[in-house]
Amino acid sequence: MTWLLLMPAALLMALVFGWPMLRYAWLSFHADSVLTGLVPVANGGANWLRLLADDRFWQDVLQTGRFALVSVTAELFLALLIALLLDQRWRGRGAVRALTLLPWALPTTMMALGWRWIFNTPYGPLEAVTASFGLGPLNLMASPQWTWLATVVTDVWKTTPFITLILLAGLQTIPADLFEAFRLEGGRSMQALREITLPLLLPYILLSLLFRLAQAFGVFDLIQVLTGGGPAGSTESLALYAYLNAMRFLDFGYSATVMLGGFVLLSLSILLGALALRLSGALRPLQS
Amino acid sequence: MNRRHLWISLLLIWSLAPMLWQLISSFTTTAALVDGAVPFVQRWTLIHYRQLLSSDPPFWRFLLNSTALASASTVLTITLAIPAAYGLVRLPQRWLRTSRALIAGAALFPYVLLFLALLELARSLNLGNSLLALAIPYSALSLPLALLLLTAAFEGLPKDLDDAAKLEGMSLMQRLRWVLIPLITPATASTAILVFLFAWNEYPIALTWLSRSDQLTLPVAMARIAGSSVYSVPYGAYAAATVIGAVPLLLLVLLFQRQIVSGLTNGAVKG
Repeated sequence: MTWLLLMPAALLMALVFGWPMLRYAWLSFHADSVLTGLVPVANGGANWLRLLADDRFWQDVLQTGRFALVSVTAELFLALLIALLLDQRWRGRGAVRALTLLPWALPTTMMALGWRWIFNTPYGPLEAVTASFGLGPLNLMASPQWTWLATVVTDVWKTTPFITLILLAGLQTIPADLFEAFRLEGGRSMQALREITLPLLLPYILLSLLFRLAQAFGVFDLIQVLTGGGPAGSTESLALYAYLNAMRFLDFGYSATVMLGGFVLLSLSILLGALALRLSGALRPLQS
Repeated sequence: MNRRHLWISLLLIWSLAPMLWQLISSFTTTAALVDGAVPFVQRWTLIHYRQLLSSDPPFWRFLLNSTALASASTVLTITLAIPAAYGLVRLPQRWLRTSRALIAGAALFPYVLLFLALLELARSLNLGNSLLALAIPYSALSLPLALLLLTAAFEGLPKDLDDAAKLEGMSLMQRLRWVLIPLITPATASTAILVFLFAWNEYPIALTWLSRSDQLTLPVAMARIAGSSVYSVPYGAYAAATVIGAVPLLLLVLLFQRQIVSGLTNGAVKG
């Protein structure tokens, strides 16, 4: 009987999460493109060899990794500050918390468009601000060296509220008397942060880190709408490359290879990160 | 004014200024958008809104599409997730732990990678370009979070309750309907609002499934306006579109913020 209750949900999830991975594994060993008349033809490991030698793929791996690491680090840091602020008691705290949640709730495509207008040269407000400091045009969206920072800023604006909520939930589990006792013993507040708050918050920090890194690695909406991967491919992400391979170049076999390759790299880096954390002993407070 | 006020003001400016800028732009004439020297009284217009509502299909059509799809996805997800969550809680402990790990893995998965295989499935089942069919993948993608939240809610109920109802001779259906489901209403509400938001905002799958312009969801329609004119960007029209698209969502978030917060934090902490 129990099995009957589980079945519909389990089958649907197997179809939507499991089937694609099997299909990609199969497709990645087939040529399936305009050249084959969109009929899959087995081609050995040709797709995988092409992937290994594909500069654009590896450039996108680095760019996606840079985007994920920089934006998630910035989000974590900002979220910690905001969570500490929202954890204190003051009037209007609930309203402020609700208002700061708004960026997270809006569709990414919508606000990516909004930020494109903010970063616009020469009419956007960012240019107006820099001009008032006497700086020349920034041209942020047209400089292959710096445009990725615009994607980071937009992502930080949009997802910091999510991490803030998780960290806030963590802060609220720390009993207040702990700080009381610490203060009575003459500890200073910075010390309390380092010796009580951060260690007790660690599980929450790691959790949001894991979740956000995985999500940021799959970044798609934001890049597609904000920069389209440009200028000169300098902000293209792996997901966007896979999307272009499938929908623009109609090369489904290679698109599947790109996605699978990216997924393998992501899983490996998460595994390595977890291993490094365990070896470094940073997780010890969790096990006690 | 103390230091805390300063920080709070900075936080609010950072969170809200981009949205306010959109609001202001949406009421500004195209001439004034590119020329700061236009006198203040001549800067304002409703033309962007009028254009949006008279375009073909009119912009409210996308709002309607997104609302219908998000509602259908929410109903389907909850209908599948409640029995499944109850079933999970009744599994032997070892099985429950394994399923939890699998579900958490699925919740972490960057789902954008699924788009190609899902598109193939949609085409072979003839579901491409059918708006409401998107509720099927959306439910599957929402199930991990829904299951984490709802199993936690069922586990929070006293075990004796279910047993006592069973002794009273109530069938499983009756117990769920009259005893268990009413007791997990708060968790169900949190789940429902989060699924609704996800479905409302989802982009890559809707982008690849839908091409007929009267079927588009709001995020896809927005991106399509953006892509249609790379060189001269009609920012006034964009801004008006963001405002129309954002207002219902903002109301929803402010209204249900308690459920959203508890859903997100429980999903993260218990998952």
